[in-house]
Amino acid sequence: MTALRILVVDDEPAIRRFLNTSLGSQGYSIGEAEDGAAALAALSREPAPDLIVLDLGLPGMDGFEVIRRVRASGASVPIIVLSVRTDEAGKVKALDLGADDYVTKPFGIDELLARIRTALRHRLQQEGERPIFKVDALSVDLVRRLVTVGDADVKLTPREYDLLRVLVAHAGKVLTHKYLLQEVWGEETDVQYLRIYVRTLRQKIEADPEQPKLIQTEQGVGYRLKAPD
Amino acid sequence: MRVFSNPAPAAGPPPQGWRPYAVSLAYTALALAAGLVVSRYFDIAQVGLVFILPVMASAVRFGRWPSLATCVAAAAVYNFFFLPPLYTFFIAKADDTMAFAIFVAVALITSNLAARMRAEAMVAHERAVATDRLYQFSAKLAAVYTLDDLLWATAFQIAQMLKVQVVILLPQDGQLGIRAGYPPDDRMSAADTAAAAWVWQHAESAVHGCAHASDAKRLYLPMRTGRGLVGVIGLESDGVPLRQSEARRLFDALADQAALAIERIVLAEAIEKTRLAAEAEKLRGALLTSISHDLRTPLAVILGAASSLKDLGGALDPAAHHELASTIQDEAERLNRFIANLLDMTRLESGALAPRLEPTDLGDVAGSAAARASRILAGHTLHVAVEPDLPLVRLDPVLFEQALFNLLDNAGKYAPAGTAVTLSARRYGAVVRLDIADEGPGIAPADLERIFDKFYRAQAADAKRASTGLGLAIARGFVEAMGGRLTAANRNEPGRSGAVFTISLPIEAP
Repeated sequence: MTALRILVVDDEPAIRRFLNTSLGSQGYSIGEAEDGAAALAALSREPAPDLIVLDLGLPGMDGFEVIRRVRASGASVPIIVLSVRTDEAGKVKALDLGADDYVTKPFGIDELLARIRTALRHRLQQEGERPIFKVDALSVDLVRRLVTVGDADVKLTPREYDLLRVLVAHAGKVLTHKYLLQEVWGEETDVQYLRIYVRTLRQKIEADPEQPKLIQTEQGVGYRLKAPD
Repeated sequence: MRVFSNPAPAAGPPPQGWRPYAVSLAYTALALAAGLVVSRYFDIAQVGLVFILPVMASAVRFGRWPSLATCVAAAAVYNFFFLPPLYTFFIAKADDTMAFAIFVAVALITSNLAARMRAEAMVAHERAVATDRLYQFSAKLAAVYTLDDLLWATAFQIAQMLKVQVVILLPQDGQLGIRAGYPPDDRMSAADTAAAAWVWQHAESAVHGCAHASDAKRLYLPMRTGRGLVGVIGLESDGVPLRQSEARRLFDALADQAALAIERIVLAEAIEKTRLAAEAEKLRGALLTSISHDLRTPLAVILGAASSLKDLGGALDPAAHHELASTIQDEAERLNRFIANLLDMTRLESGALAPRLEPTDLGDVAGSAAARASRILAGHTLHVAVEPDLPLVRLDPVLFEQALFNLLDNAGKYAPAGTAVTLSARRYGAVVRLDIADEGPGIAPADLERIFDKFYRAQAADAKRASTGLGLAIARGFVEAMGGRLTAANRNEPGRSGAVFTISLPIEAP
């Protein structure tokens, strides 16, 4: 099997330089682009990248525009966005435009690698979901609709189960409030509903609902279910 | 003390001393001589007209009282010398009595009219002088730009024109206080403070006799414009009462002009304050952007590379290991430069920069700056060409090296890798010129000055150069602090594009 190809799009040479070295050491084959135009050009070339790491603050054509154009071209290549901490609205916008996940600068390499693995796994497994999902003590049988924590069965309302099912389907990935509301409620209702359901779900599946390990809050963006190791 | 009180008669001041009367008597004597000559050829009745002349002359020159005295003297002389029986004060004939009565009436009316004309002419003259002074005052006020100068000029002018002592009080931090005085005076008794405060609150004059002003040594008057009260003026005179109408009119005109000028300056200061606040806000925004980018990017790289070394240790081959370590070093140095730049800027701005000038070998400084920049310019070719027999120049070598370094750093950022950067120094008469020339895209003409502004980055095609936007501002600040000049231009050589930064340093006479 040939190495998976990652395209790093950032105008800062120093960022490209260290990502090239670090990601390269993990067996990925790295391509670099310093702006949006170069990124789009790299996408149209064979072999196309398997994943894009994209800085939002590019000169000229910004990262949002790059996402828009990539998705408009029909490409489903996973996109992980590099963003700054204070820019929640930018993260949500990037995710809504079709980015798969984001990492906040500055970041540790294992955080980025985890996001990359999650995104690539979803790409490889898009066709068949695993019938039984397990992370930590939580186990979800998607065929029999059974949820257990340790040995104990957990009783969930249909809505709570739907919420968990969507999170499981995208385990490891951040899901925006908007996306979850659409998937679970089928309409854009008040984000307050979502908060309430997340809280009750946590009380049923988390060991310590006050310090959740499974359903993680991405402040101002959405929620992320812990990915199986 | 009373200032605007006791209206004097509308006519001019009473003539002083005996001189007007003596002169008037002389006029009468002249008229007598003329009358004696005239009476030889004409009828006696005509002689009476001759005696109108001294009365008129006296009235025009000296005013009412001397002219009345002349009137009496002329009537007596006329009667004594010309009306029979001659050389007596009696009048024999009824005709002569009539002529004498008419003479006296005409003389009186004439003296009165002439005296009034004279008084009016005097008032007109005074007004013309006052108007002229007011005009000069307003011209002076228009040329004053600081509040202190303005207040001093106003106090001086009012003191001069009204012969009084003046203090001007303005509100400051909610408290009314003396801001200027002529002659300088900053003493305020409790009664004075109360009177001034009362005027400020009620926007009315505190007249003597009012309870709140009875013990005050000054008279306090409001200064106002159409927009409201701007201050209070306190007047104190040495007891010479001023004529009400003229002095008051003059004072009002002076106070109105001063109030307008004060308002103009206060408004201008407020606008300037707002402008400075906006400027500071803009600068703070630029600083935040600059810091968030210039601090965050190297930090992100250092953190990422360090975590790679730590977490991926086993997977890294020696070359990758070395690459990550040197990435960390480069970015740490970049951070260090950025922080040094921020500190330098702070030193420049706070005025804490004290260059230690000493005779300096430019070749030496250029060499060390080039050595320091060698890592940054690793992708470029750096030529250093310093004329061998350059004189020593009085410089702070540390600051100057930093200025050169910032210029080389700038060239490294904007000129593409593989091009040449040239640092040359040459003597031109009494000036040494250093040129730092690159082969980059050059500088847009509109940017040639702006690139020296704090946090300004040339936007050419790349909004996010790894620069602080401070380097050039600091270089210029340092060079100017050492008495030199730093300018930017585009290279004007056939076949060569690029920017050239020029430092000009004066050579002191040995």
